[in-house]
Amino acid sequence: MTEVNLIDRLLAEQGALTAVARFARRHEEGGLPAQARYYEDLIPLTRPAPGQQYAFAVDLDACTGCKACVSACHSLNGLDEHETWRDVGLLVGERGGGPYLQTVTTACHHCVDPACLEGCPVMAYDKDAETGIVRHLDDQCIGCQYCTLKCPYGVPKYSERLGIVRKCDMCHDRLAVGEAPACVQACPHEAIAIRLVDVAEVSAAATPGTRLVPGAFDSSYTKPTTVYHSRKAPPDAAHAACAYKLQLEHAHWPLLIMLVATQAATGLFAAAFATGIASPGQFHNAGFPLVAAAFALLNGGLFAAVFHLGRPLGAWRFFLGLRTSWMSREILAFSLMATIAAPAVGAAFLFPGSPLASGLAGATALLGVVAVLTSAMIYIDTRRTFWSPVESFGRFYGATLVLGAAAAAVVLGLAGQSAGMRAALAIAVAIRAIIFGWEYASHRLALKDRNAATHLSALTISALLPWLFPSRIALFVVATLGSLVAIFGAPQFAPAWAALAFATTAASQILERYTFFTAVRAPHMPGGI
Amino acid sequence: MKFPALKIPSTPAELIPPIRAWTGPLTEELVRSPGGFGLGQIPDRVTPDDTTTMVCGFCSTGCGLNVHLKDGQAINLSADATYPVNLGMACPKGWEALTPLSAPDRGTTPLVRRRRGGPLESCDWESAMVLFCEEFKALKAKHGPESVAFLSTGQITTEEMAFLGCLFKIGMGFIHCDSNTRQCMATAHVAYKQSFGFDAPPYTYADFEESDVLVFIGSNPCIAHPIMWQRVMRNPHSPEILVVDPRATETAMAATQHYAIQPKSDLTLLYGLAHLLIEMDAVRREFIEAHTTGFEEFAEFVRAFSPRHVSAAAGISEERLRHFAQTIADGKRVSFWWTMGVNQGHESTRTAQAIINLALMTGSIGRPGTGANSITGQCNAMGSRIFANITSLLGAHDANDDADRAKIAGILGIDESAIPREPSMAYDEIVRGIAEGKIKGLWVIATNSSHSWIHQSEFNALLERLDFLVVQDLYSTTETAQRADLFLPAAGWGEKEGTLINSERRIGLIKKIRRAPGQALSDFHICQLIAHYWGCAAQFARWTSPEAAFALLKEVSRNQPNDMTGIRDYHHIDAEGGIQWPLPEASLSRATHSIEHGQEHDCENRISTERRLFEDGRFFTPDGRARFLFDEPRAMPEPPDDEYPFILLTGRGTSSQWHTNTRTGKSDVLRKLYPAHCYVEIHPTDARRLGIRPNSPVQLASRRAKIRAAAFVTPTVQPGQIFVPMHYREVNTLTFPAFDPHSRQPAYKACAVSVAAL
Repeated sequence: MTEVNLIDRLLAEQGALTAVARFARRHEEGGLPAQARYYEDLIPLTRPAPGQQYAFAVDLDACTGCKACVSACHSLNGLDEHETWRDVGLLVGERGGGPYLQTVTTACHHCVDPACLEGCPVMAYDKDAETGIVRHLDDQCIGCQYCTLKCPYGVPKYSERLGIVRKCDMCHDRLAVGEAPACVQACPHEAIAIRLVDVAEVSAAATPGTRLVPGAFDSSYTKPTTVYHSRKAPPDAAHAACAYKLQLEHAHWPLLIMLVATQAATGLFAAAFATGIASPGQFHNAGFPLVAAAFALLNGGLFAAVFHLGRPLGAWRFFLGLRTSWMSREILAFSLMATIAAPAVGAAFLFPGSPLASGLAGATALLGVVAVLTSAMIYIDTRRTFWSPVESFGRFYGATLVLGAAAAAVVLGLAGQSAGMRAALAIAVAIRAIIFGWEYASHRLALKDRNAATHLSALTISALLPWLFPSRIALFVVATLGSLVAIFGAPQFAPAWAALAFATTAASQILERYTFFTAVRAPHMPGGI
Repeated sequence: MKFPALKIPSTPAELIPPIRAWTGPLTEELVRSPGGFGLGQIPDRVTPDDTTTMVCGFCSTGCGLNVHLKDGQAINLSADATYPVNLGMACPKGWEALTPLSAPDRGTTPLVRRRRGGPLESCDWESAMVLFCEEFKALKAKHGPESVAFLSTGQITTEEMAFLGCLFKIGMGFIHCDSNTRQCMATAHVAYKQSFGFDAPPYTYADFEESDVLVFIGSNPCIAHPIMWQRVMRNPHSPEILVVDPRATETAMAATQHYAIQPKSDLTLLYGLAHLLIEMDAVRREFIEAHTTGFEEFAEFVRAFSPRHVSAAAGISEERLRHFAQTIADGKRVSFWWTMGVNQGHESTRTAQAIINLALMTGSIGRPGTGANSITGQCNAMGSRIFANITSLLGAHDANDDADRAKIAGILGIDESAIPREPSMAYDEIVRGIAEGKIKGLWVIATNSSHSWIHQSEFNALLERLDFLVVQDLYSTTETAQRADLFLPAAGWGEKEGTLINSERRIGLIKKIRRAPGQALSDFHICQLIAHYWGCAAQFARWTSPEAAFALLKEVSRNQPNDMTGIRDYHHIDAEGGIQWPLPEASLSRATHSIEHGQEHDCENRISTERRLFEDGRFFTPDGRARFLFDEPRAMPEPPDDEYPFILLTGRGTSSQWHTNTRTGKSDVLRKLYPAHCYVEIHPTDARRLGIRPNSPVQLASRRAKIRAAAFVTPTVQPGQIFVPMHYREVNTLTFPAFDPHSRQPAYKACAVSVAAL
């Protein structure tokens, strides 16, 4: 045999798959799956009766952190390579001078009041009337990801590949034929079971302040059905191993642009209305540019928002969520605003300085104010501390005012309305000082006060975005000085200074919104180290 | 953004999209249907057309995995419901076992580095083999047979280990070789060999379920061997579970008694327990007299280990010490289990033997639920320990015993004179040999020494001194492969056939269910190629296939304690769900009968498939008696001092990490389940004193290196001690190179370090 032959022979031998041909397999066809012997006692014998639903029941004393449930769920449900529907976290603390360690396996809690379902604008979630399983309708989903913000347990996960969210479905079809969910099948210690729970009891027990385990979100929000039981109660100071881990959340750039642009547009419509009311004759040549700029910003922002959606073609179904979802309401509010903004532009062009033009600009601004309210409510409704009503309204309406005034100053300056420009600049200087002063002061306070609700967000900013506030301070100084120069300096350069002030203000607001998204603490079940 | 492909509607109804889309292409991605083959529901897109069972290739538990096949190729897997080891369960590594095979950095051709510092370049097998033989032959000609060594692994099949060891020593004529089992199981090997007369872990996994007292020493099965812990959890006797570990591990938290002793006080503690058991007359005199030697000397020796002395050394109160001994004394079926906490110590062999002594003196051996039981590390450490032809002649024979030489030469069909008589150097001696310029060429097979060897930076500097470094691995990206002059791409688990031997001596089968990428070849085929190019193929004419090699090894085992001549072939192993050694040919008819009988009656089936050693009280020593072996404890090699006041403990991080993460790092799922970056467990008292806040960066420094880690402030470690998982590359730059004198196993578990906030 020649040398080349041996290599070729061995490569050919290596390439031949032999398991099937060489080893016969005794299959157990028909009847129960082979694994059934291990899980028979871990699933209910009967379907839920009226008033009942299925729930995960976790025996914490048996969960020792092997994490087999995570990978079994992954493999037996055909998830994408990086996709997991179950997770195992760790609680740590001290008990009696010694350590306390408890691993916690967790998946979807199939809540009585699912926040994901409530927030979905297109009814892509369904809580099954019989089983209580919260299912996600993958083909209904538009990939807006609002459910990933709404769920306080971090359950729904967005898939870039598919442009939709997916989540645990409690292997509903397995349960339907008497098989156990993958995680239940795979736990070596029988720590996970499916039990029937009484829905009314779960609701009654989920009083404010109750939590599934230390570190989990307040159960009164969504009334999660998972039952964690243990013979040893966790110590009071137990916390998740990840409690101090700092990380940046997703920036959601399309949303960020959309929010800043639509808020600036609202401010500009208001400025157009205000100038029209203040002196219709004097400002008639500024009315159209103001409204046109506002219109451009509004539509630019709304166009950007489309890029946020994984599957925008299904967005026409937004009305399905109007009863519960602020996302639906926001889409409606901005649709109405955009609808009325077009005639407002037409009126400003055809009938400059007319009461019709002012009135339409004012009406658009008013709808804008409502739309900004719906925008803020989207975030407030997630109950994240960094997105509290004060934080969200303060930032969103602050941006509306300061950007509206700063943008109006530029338009007025270019239109040769120097008095109006100066007035707008002065308003912008004042508002800018108030809102930036407030943002910065509250950041410093939260950073110092370890018990502050937003302490960890402040820590995240100072540790992971150390350049952020120095940059914003620099932008603030340039914007303020530029405005003052425009007000008091040589008139021929005033529009240029006003433009600089607007650009720096817009940059600062974009950074503010970047912080708003990235430094938020997303609540979730206890994670690992 | 995703836009669906445009579809022309064929009916008016299709023109109107549904208000709610309950079905569609995205929903179908995850639809499950009955998968057949007893699997229950399976995702439609991975519906198998056949299944087959094989053992897992990560750890020594040796779980059976049910591989789902399509056109002969693995597309998915699940835990095997009927395999006697794991009873339908697997840990995350097992579930993800197929994923690392598809990693993009698999070696697909041999790679050669034409000049030091240059890149690794692709070449063909022909030139790789020519280069391999030229370089090693030149070194042999110039510097002699001691100038080239190999470092191999406990991760390849028994047949491959045997082939490799024989090829290197008998065919190529070199002397020195060792394997990474030196880093994990050498201690258990030596301890058993000296005490029992053969490297023979006596237990079967059913013992986990049958004990009423289980003592775990330096062992964290909850995450290191989760499927063994499954067996503990199945124990119906509400057992006392005692854990001896400086750290409050997952297992310690699940135990009924945790003894957080001072690091490296284990030997003293075990002698102290022997002292107390004698004092309370809890020893089985009749067993000791009938089956052991050396007890009187041992009893005399442990008189010095008074509770007061031991209490001071171990940091355990006398009262708790007595409670420990009393628990053992009260137990009817006491089993002792140890893992790396014992094996990786500077006096580890005596420590393991101190455990063996406790089992012997209490008669806790040879009965259900008893034993002095070493839980092995790698999937085939047990194969390596017997068949690697490294420390002993193939099959635990003696290279200086004429009868053994004749037996092996006869079976292999070689000239007896080809078998070298010289003993091989151990791993650390090979490393020292490189430092001293004796070892000029090194061949590293399926291990990542550049990450895992103790005092890593010295090791990596030494590799630069080699004239020729060959690395044979699945991945060309390991820290060691990146330093190679020649890289040989190996086929992995699942891409070849062969057997692995698990912790309870069960021989399990792996099968070829995936095609190796590119030109990767199994280690067995690489050995065949090397034999051919070296010019010694005639000596290996009988090694035509893994199964032919297995037949040779069966013959090798004849009349040895590990006699497996009763195993017919691979099909026999496959049909039985693995077969424990010993299974001599003479017992075959009896065993077959009981197994067949057992299939009708499940409880009896377990008895026939789960067998333990020494039920007759006869050990493998010439006189049939077990030995009491002991030595005075020695201080830890690098104790903490003012400059380096902390003791660094290392060990397993999570169940989803395996050693140097070479394979586990390839799976997204497994990566999600362990911390991405190095962290250090530090006690809250120490953290407060040093101004270290949770999750803040700290610097760890030993006399050898400085590393950075994130602080995990937790009382799981005691003040003055810190713990860092071993899986992060930088950790072994800190560790101190100390070795047990008997087993030459490195003492990874304790060295002196300093800690500072950054």
